[in-house]
Amino acid sequence: MTTGSVWEWIIKSVVIVFGLLTGFAYLTLLERKVLAKIQVRIGPNRAGPMGLFQPLADAIKLIFKEEIIPSRADKIIFVLAPIITVIPALIILGVLPFGGIITLFGRQISLSLADLNVGVLYITAIASISIYGIVLAGWSSNNKYAMLGGIRSSAQMISYELALGLSFIGPILLSGSMSLHDIVAAQKPLWFVVYQPVGALIFWIATLAEVNRAPFDMPEAEQELTAGYHTEYSGMKFALFFMAEYIKMIAVSAIAATLFFGGYRFVLEDQYPILGPVWLLGKVIVLLFGMIWVRATLPRIRYDRLMAFGWKFLFPLALANVFFTAIGIVLEKLWLIPLLTIAVFLGAVVMVGISETRRWRSHVF
Amino acid sequence: MTPLQIIFIIVAVITLFAAIKVVSSRNLVHAALWLILVLFGIAVFFVILSAGFFAAAQVVIYIGAIAILMIFTIMLTRRVARDSGAQHNSNWWAAAVLSLLLFTGLSWILSRWQGFQSTAQPMLESADPLRQLGEGLVAPGGYLIPFEVASILLVAALIGAITVAWERK
Amino acid sequence: MDDYKITTDALDDVGHLISERALKGETVLLNMGPQHPSTHGVLRLLLELDGEVVVNCIPDIGFLHTGIEKNMETKTYEKAAVMTDRLDYLNTVGNNLVYCLAIEKLVGLDVPARAQALRVILVELQRIASHLVWLGTHGLDLAAMSMFLYCFREREMIMDIMEMVGGQRMMATCIRPGGMWRDVPAGFEEAVRQFIRIFPKRIKEYENLLTRNPLFLERTKNIGILSKEDALRWGVTGPMLRASGVAHDLRKVRPYSGYELYDFDIPTQSDGDTYARYLVRMEEMRQSLRIIQQALDKLPSGPVRSNNRKFVPPPRAEIGVSMEALIHHFKLWTEGFTPTKGAVYEAVESPRGELGVYLESDGTPKPFRVHWRTPSFLNLQVLPLLAKGHLVADLVALIGTIDIVLGDVDR
Repeated sequence: MTTGSVWEWIIKSVVIVFGLLTGFAYLTLLERKVLAKIQVRIGPNRAGPMGLFQPLADAIKLIFKEEIIPSRADKIIFVLAPIITVIPALIILGVLPFGGIITLFGRQISLSLADLNVGVLYITAIASISIYGIVLAGWSSNNKYAMLGGIRSSAQMISYELALGLSFIGPILLSGSMSLHDIVAAQKPLWFVVYQPVGALIFWIATLAEVNRAPFDMPEAEQELTAGYHTEYSGMKFALFFMAEYIKMIAVSAIAATLFFGGYRFVLEDQYPILGPVWLLGKVIVLLFGMIWVRATLPRIRYDRLMAFGWKFLFPLALANVFFTAIGIVLEKLWLIPLLTIAVFLGAVVMVGISETRRWRSHVF
Repeated sequence: MTPLQIIFIIVAVITLFAAIKVVSSRNLVHAALWLILVLFGIAVFFVILSAGFFAAAQVVIYIGAIAILMIFTIMLTRRVARDSGAQHNSNWWAAAVLSLLLFTGLSWILSRWQGFQSTAQPMLESADPLRQLGEGLVAPGGYLIPFEVASILLVAALIGAITVAWERK
Repeated sequence: MDDYKITTDALDDVGHLISERALKGETVLLNMGPQHPSTHGVLRLLLELDGEVVVNCIPDIGFLHTGIEKNMETKTYEKAAVMTDRLDYLNTVGNNLVYCLAIEKLVGLDVPARAQALRVILVELQRIASHLVWLGTHGLDLAAMSMFLYCFREREMIMDIMEMVGGQRMMATCIRPGGMWRDVPAGFEEAVRQFIRIFPKRIKEYENLLTRNPLFLERTKNIGILSKEDALRWGVTGPMLRASGVAHDLRKVRPYSGYELYDFDIPTQSDGDTYARYLVRMEEMRQSLRIIQQALDKLPSGPVRSNNRKFVPPPRAEIGVSMEALIHHFKLWTEGFTPTKGAVYEAVESPRGELGVYLESDGTPKPFRVHWRTPSFLNLQVLPLLAKGHLVADLVALIGTIDIVLGDVDR
């Protein structure tokens, strides 16, 4: 380990963290703009050209707001909770490859922070920590709405982590490695989404639940729990929760792009490795747009139905997906995987449709 | 001292302090949080031993699943989060003597073990501990039967828990 | 009714919710509102929750009490008309209409045919606007946030028409005793026809987003089932009653303002759940369009105000040339008209149900007693019945489906 490589790590970490923070700021603007367009509004356009300084204005406003700590809150945990929420969101991308190897100032630089041989497991580990911030925020606020939000979120995230973890297994089996670098390299001929259409769908749905996005934004369901776990938070502490949510959105989109959509690889990337991060960013933006679109369109699913959906539909489907992926790999007929999994998926959808219709007819809620 | 040793000592001190706080903390949620710090310290030890898989598994299973369930349970029970009774009873000296004996016994056994004095060989670059672990778990010559027995036991426990908690309407 | 009783023992003498179960820690008490994003104003609900299941729900009203009934008794009949808008602020012309109908019945005024048709057009437009607010907020409560903005886009067209007629977007008070405030301006018919052209497509758009949406079905099907018997017992009216299978609509049952001239259906559903109420209201918007279309097609020409100068002020132009007109004007705006002793009750079908007004005259220019029978107040009574056994999330849907306007509840 040389001093040079230590500096390289530090610089890369700083770039990733600042990239995520900037990405967070402009993702809020993107979301507001896209929502506005979908909802026949204009969206923020006052601060700067096309509202480009809006995130800055928001940040200044939040910094100068009064921070209120409820008198009967558990003060240490109340202050700690937003920090615990943000840190996993910032470090989750540590194992993600942003590109190949580029030469800069006569030095070979790999466009990634670390290549862990258990990269995928690292991501699950970090994702599982991120629940704490929300749970503790809900508990320490000493507020019933916040408490309900905290309990909801912990139950929800634990439930959807299973399906999320199982959807990781498809790419792992196909590439034979848990390193994200190897997974990207294995997708050189064909993106894994072709072999894993159902796996990618499960991953996407589970991540929506994992980052508390609509229609699974149960923990902060505004109409039911006023603001859920962050009801009592204000100023920068609130901003940290907000930041964590949006950074997690970027992170899971980047992970989805890496696992199923070829990562940083796309046309011309072999000749010009510097294009890697650009392609990755492009894929991330497309996936983020999908998340925003879903939010603008769908009503929120009810809490108990959310749990039923996670446990009775998504989890068995993810298991079936793993099962058929393994069969395809053992038989060495990879084209079987999408056929079988899509057939199972459609069958499951039809069955759920029939049973739900029956339930509605029977007047039981 | 190598940097690794310094890190080990720091983490060890933090972990031990957190472990003491787990049993001495009066607030249940705080105790659970200290426990998480202990579990996290152990994950760091795994990283120091270059056992990345175990470190990640430690975080996923202990911190991400078991400890969160503890917090979940504590949150669902009311008014027991704060304990005000005495923290030790009149037999505390017996426990102290016993644990001291246990500690000396363990130290003595360990000090006689060869591996305690020699430095461990660094792992070969070509070695794939993950593959070895996987094969050890499912290969017929490895620990297949204990592994499967453990899974059956867990399934039985799962069914038992559901049966106990089932509320017939 | 027998299976549900508000357990009054759960309330202490200052009206706070206490309960044995909650004290033992079996249930949680939660105060929802009056500052809550989805209580549609300032409704306060006292909830007793078992987990997230509502065990007990007590609505607490009065946070928007305006004293309109009492205030109206201190004004002359004509001047009190402006206060009616402020009751149910989503059905402003409907409130004007029922008040004017009551006065017309009290003093025996005739309303010209053109005024009657214009009243029908305005009231039906208002019904659509009110249902749009309901649909938008109902969607928003279920987090279908775009619905809200789509609905308000169409509501804006109606608000423009209202502004054209009355000079104000919401509180126009353009319906007056004896007819209309004045005739509609030149562009009115064109604007309404434009709306009729566009709106069916927009209803389709809403239906595409919600009617077959599985998530929406999940949130509304079998939620808050109100049986026919319960609906009748609790005095529920309007779309809520019709969704429970009773085809009761005052526009058909006892037509007023010339509703008998128009051909329209009363949409009903038999399920009595939130989804049925949704379907009923969506269909009602279509039927309202039909009525507006017919009324516009055969809109008679002629005066829009009664010529009875004892009760209706003369037009401005007449005052300058006629001494009698000036005297009438002066008398009507200072002292007001004096009905004979007696009492009337007049009711119309508001977007929320039977909106009635009871006027009692003691022979002076001011009403002795004004009482409003407001549909929101009576419909809100079934909320505890509907909410029992549902989740907190459904409660939000239920408040939306009852379509309360707090100004209408606390008058």
